[in-house]
Amino acid sequence: MTRYILKRVVHALLVMWAVATLVFFMLRAVPGDPLRAMLFDVGDPQAAEELRRKLGLDQPIYVQYALWLGRVLQGDLGNSIYGSRVSVSRILKEAIPRTLSLAGLAFLIALLLAVPAGILSAVKRGSLWDHTFTVLAFLGLSMPDFWLAILLILVFAVHLQWLPAIGYVPLSKGFWPWLSHLILPAIAVGTAFSAILARMIRSAMLEVLRLDYIQVAWAKGLPERRVIFKHALRNALIPVITVMGIAFALLMAGAVIVENVFAIKGLGRVLIQGILNRDYPVVQGAILVVSAIFVFTNLLVDVLYTLINPRIRYEE
Amino acid sequence: MTEERREGLPEPEKERIRKELKWAYDFDPKDPLFGLSKADLRGPKMSRRTVLRLLAAAGILSMGHLLPKPMGRIAYGQVGGELTAGWAGTGEIRTLDPAQINQVLQFQIASNVLSGLTHINADLIAEGDLAVDWTVSDDGTEWTFFLREGVRFHNGDPFTADDVIFTFNRSKDPNQSIHSRVLAQVESVEKVDDYTVKFKLSAPQASFLVKTTERASGRALTIVNKRALEEMGPEQYGLTPVGTGPFRVVFHQLGQGVVLERFEDYFDPERPKLDKVTIIPIPEPEPLAAAIEAGDIQLIGGNPVAPELVDRFLANPELVVDIQPGPGFQALWINPHREPFPVPDFNKPVEELKKERGFMVRLAIAKAIDREDLIRRALFGRGVPAFGTINPAMRFFFDTAINETSEQRFDAEEARRLLAEAGFPNGEGFPTLTLKTTPAGRREAEILVNILKKNLNIDVEIEIRDFPVLIDEFDTMDFDLLRIGSGGDYDPDDGLVDWMQTTSKFNGPNRPSELPFGYFSEREVDDLIDRQRVETDLNERKALVQRANRITSDKVAAAFLFHPVDVLVYRKEVNYPPESRIPGLVDLDRVTLSP
Repeated sequence: MTRYILKRVVHALLVMWAVATLVFFMLRAVPGDPLRAMLFDVGDPQAAEELRRKLGLDQPIYVQYALWLGRVLQGDLGNSIYGSRVSVSRILKEAIPRTLSLAGLAFLIALLLAVPAGILSAVKRGSLWDHTFTVLAFLGLSMPDFWLAILLILVFAVHLQWLPAIGYVPLSKGFWPWLSHLILPAIAVGTAFSAILARMIRSAMLEVLRLDYIQVAWAKGLPERRVIFKHALRNALIPVITVMGIAFALLMAGAVIVENVFAIKGLGRVLIQGILNRDYPVVQGAILVVSAIFVFTNLLVDVLYTLINPRIRYEE
Repeated sequence: MTEERREGLPEPEKERIRKELKWAYDFDPKDPLFGLSKADLRGPKMSRRTVLRLLAAAGILSMGHLLPKPMGRIAYGQVGGELTAGWAGTGEIRTLDPAQINQVLQFQIASNVLSGLTHINADLIAEGDLAVDWTVSDDGTEWTFFLREGVRFHNGDPFTADDVIFTFNRSKDPNQSIHSRVLAQVESVEKVDDYTVKFKLSAPQASFLVKTTERASGRALTIVNKRALEEMGPEQYGLTPVGTGPFRVVFHQLGQGVVLERFEDYFDPERPKLDKVTIIPIPEPEPLAAAIEAGDIQLIGGNPVAPELVDRFLANPELVVDIQPGPGFQALWINPHREPFPVPDFNKPVEELKKERGFMVRLAIAKAIDREDLIRRALFGRGVPAFGTINPAMRFFFDTAINETSEQRFDAEEARRLLAEAGFPNGEGFPTLTLKTTPAGRREAEILVNILKKNLNIDVEIEIRDFPVLIDEFDTMDFDLLRIGSGGDYDPDDGLVDWMQTTSKFNGPNRPSELPFGYFSEREVDDLIDRQRVETDLNERKALVQRANRITSDKVAAAFLFHPVDVLVYRKEVNYPPESRIPGLVDLDRVTLSP
C-alpha cells in the first residue's frame, strides 16, 4: 500500500508539472499585454517597457520558463504583476482557507441533503417521497447557482435580515461570524451538487438492493437499518465516492460565480481574475494548487475504496 | 446643474456672480502667475480673489464656486462609530502605495491614509495639507513650501523636509514608481531647513499645486514613510502603508478588505470623526445593492455604481444618492484604414471630406447614433450626450453649443442619405462590421448595434474582448469599430493632448509601420492643442480648446457617445458633509454617523 501511494504521489507530481508547463506556454500564447493594460490609465507606454524589463518579461519565453521552474522547485511561486506585487504564495495562502471553508460547508450541506434523500427514494421507490425528491432534484439541478445565490441574499439578508449579504469572516474571528457568512453561499453551491449526488445514490442503491445477497439479508431477518446501511449503502458508495471526489475538487476551484456574488475571494476567483488580467505568476501558481487538489483528491478516493470495500487491494 | 441653481437666485446675487466671474478671468495673459502677486499665492488660505484666479487658470472656475454655500448643514460634532463601506466593481484593493496606484478606487482609500503637501477641496481648490504655507518666485519656477510642524506618521516618526525629499526621489525613480514622468517638470528639490523645501521647475506650471503636490491627482508626491518602507518592504507597504493621514491601516488582506482606524495623533484634533472604517470589495452589482439595502454596508465607494441600480437607490428612502457631473468621455472608434470607411487624409476642409465615400460612411455612423436614446436605454438616463473630449466637469471649457452645431449631431435621415450616397442605399450591400468591447460593455454595445440597425439598416457583430486584449487591438489599430473611453479628465489636456493629437499616447502607438497615423491625425488640431497648452489667457485658451474640440467632432475623430456622471450612494444615517464631496474621491475624515 505504501509503495502504491508513493508511486501515485510521483505520478501526481509529474501530472502537476505537465499541467503547469502547458499552462505556462498557453498563457503566453493568449493575446493581451498585462503591463500595457495595467498602465493604460497612466498612459505611459515607456513605463510599461521599464516594468517589463524589471519583471523579466522581456526575456525569451524559454528563459522565463527555466527561471520560473527553478524558482518553483525552491518553493517560490513569484509575485503578482499588479499593484504592490504581492507574492503568489501569500495570495494563495489567503484564498485557500476561504475556498476550503466554502467547499467544505457546501459539501457537508450536499451530503446532509443528498444521502437521506437518495436512500429514501431508493428504498421507497415509486412512493410520494421518491417523486418529491425527484422533482426537488431536478429543480436543484436546473436552478443556476448565481440566481439561487441572489435569491437567498434577497430573502435572508435583505428581507429577513437574518444573515449577512456578503463577505467572508475567518474562523479565527469566531465560529458564528464565520458560519453566518458562509451559510448562504454554501447552500447556493451545495444545492446543485446535492441534487446530482441524490440521484447518484438513488440509482446506485437501487442497483444494489436488487442483488441476491440483499435478498439473503432480508431472508435472514436482519433489521431494516442493518440491511440498508451496512449491506446496501456500503456497496452502493463506490461509484458515489468517485463522483464525490471529483465534485469536491470541482468545488474547490469552480465556485467562481458564487464566490463573486458573495464577494469571497477564493481560489476560483483568484484564478479567473488572474486569467482576465493576464497575471501570469498568479495563474501559474493557482493552477499548480488546483491540479494538486485534483490529483490528490483522486488519490484519496482510491485509498478510500479499500476502506469501504476490503476486496479492493492495490498490489504491493 | 450649476446653471439651474443660478436660475433661482435673486437679481443682485446674479449680478455679483457675473462680476466676480468676469473679474476673475480678467488679468494679464502673458503673466505666468495669472495676475497674482507672490503674496497672493502664499498659503495656507488663499484669498477668494487668488482662489478664483487660480481656478480660472486651471480652467475649473464655474458658477458653482461663486454660489452661496448650501445652508442648514448637519452638525458634525458627533465622534465615534464604525462605518462599513462597499467598494464597487472590484475583487480586491491591489495596492495603497501611491507609487503604484493606477486606479481611482485605490486612491479613494489611500487618500484617507496618506497626505500630500496640499489637498484639493470640494471647490476643487488646493488647500494646505502637510504644507501650512508656500511662496512662489517672481518667474513662477521656484516654489517654497513651509511644512506643518509637529506632524507624526502612524508609526510615530516625525514628518520633516527629509520625507518630502525621500518621497520625491522615490517617485522619480521608474523602478520604484509608475508616476515618474509626472515630475518631469521638476528640476530639483532642495531642503532649506527641517520644515522648508524648495522645488525648482524647468518652466512655470500653473497646475503645479494640483498636479504634483495634491494627494489625489498628484500621486507622485503623496508623502510616504522611509522607515516603514525599509522595515516592511514595498509589498507589505503597498497593503498597509504608513502615512500621516487621518486614518491608519490596521488590516488588509487582498480580496478580504481593508480596515482603517482613527489615527489619534492626526495633526487636526477635530478629525477624523469615525473610530473605524471597514472597506469590503464587492465585484457584482446585485449583491452590492443588497448589501446596502440590508444595511451590511453604509456607503458605496470604488468603481462607478452600475447605472441600472441608480433608480432603485433613488426610490429607497433609506438611501441618499448624490449625483454630480463626472469627468470623462466615452466614444465609438472607427478605423480610418479599413473599408468601408477609409479616410487616408483628414487634412481637408470638412466640405471636401464629405464628398469622399469613406468619410460619408464614417459620418453616417456618427450621425445615426441617437445619444439620448443610448443614454436612456444603456445608462438609464444617467449621462450627458458627448460630441467631443471636453466634458462637463471641465466647466469653463465645456459648452453645450456643440450639441447643436457638430456635424455629428443626430439626424437619422441625413445619415441614411450619406450612406446611400456612399453606395449603400438603405444599407444594401454594406459589409457586416465587428464592434469590439469588453465583457462589461456587452449590454451597451447591443443597444448601440440596435440603434445602427434601426437608423442605417446595417449589421454589426459584437466581439467580446478581455480588457488587456481590447487595449492591444486598440493600440495596434486592429478593429473596425471599438468601444473605449476615458475617465478622470479634469483639464482639457486630459482629453485633447492624451487622445486627439497625431502623437497622442492612445493614438495607435503600436500600429503597423505602414499606417501613417492611428485613429485620427489633423494638422490644425495638432497645432491648436499645442497652442492651448501654453496659452495663459483663459479666454484665448478656451477659444483654442473649443476650436480643436469642434474639428475633432466635425471630422469624426471618433463617434462620441456620452459623458458619465459621478454618483455617491450612502445610507441616511451617514452624514457626508458637502466639503468632502469631491467627484471621484471618498474622503471620510469629516464623515459621521447618526446614532
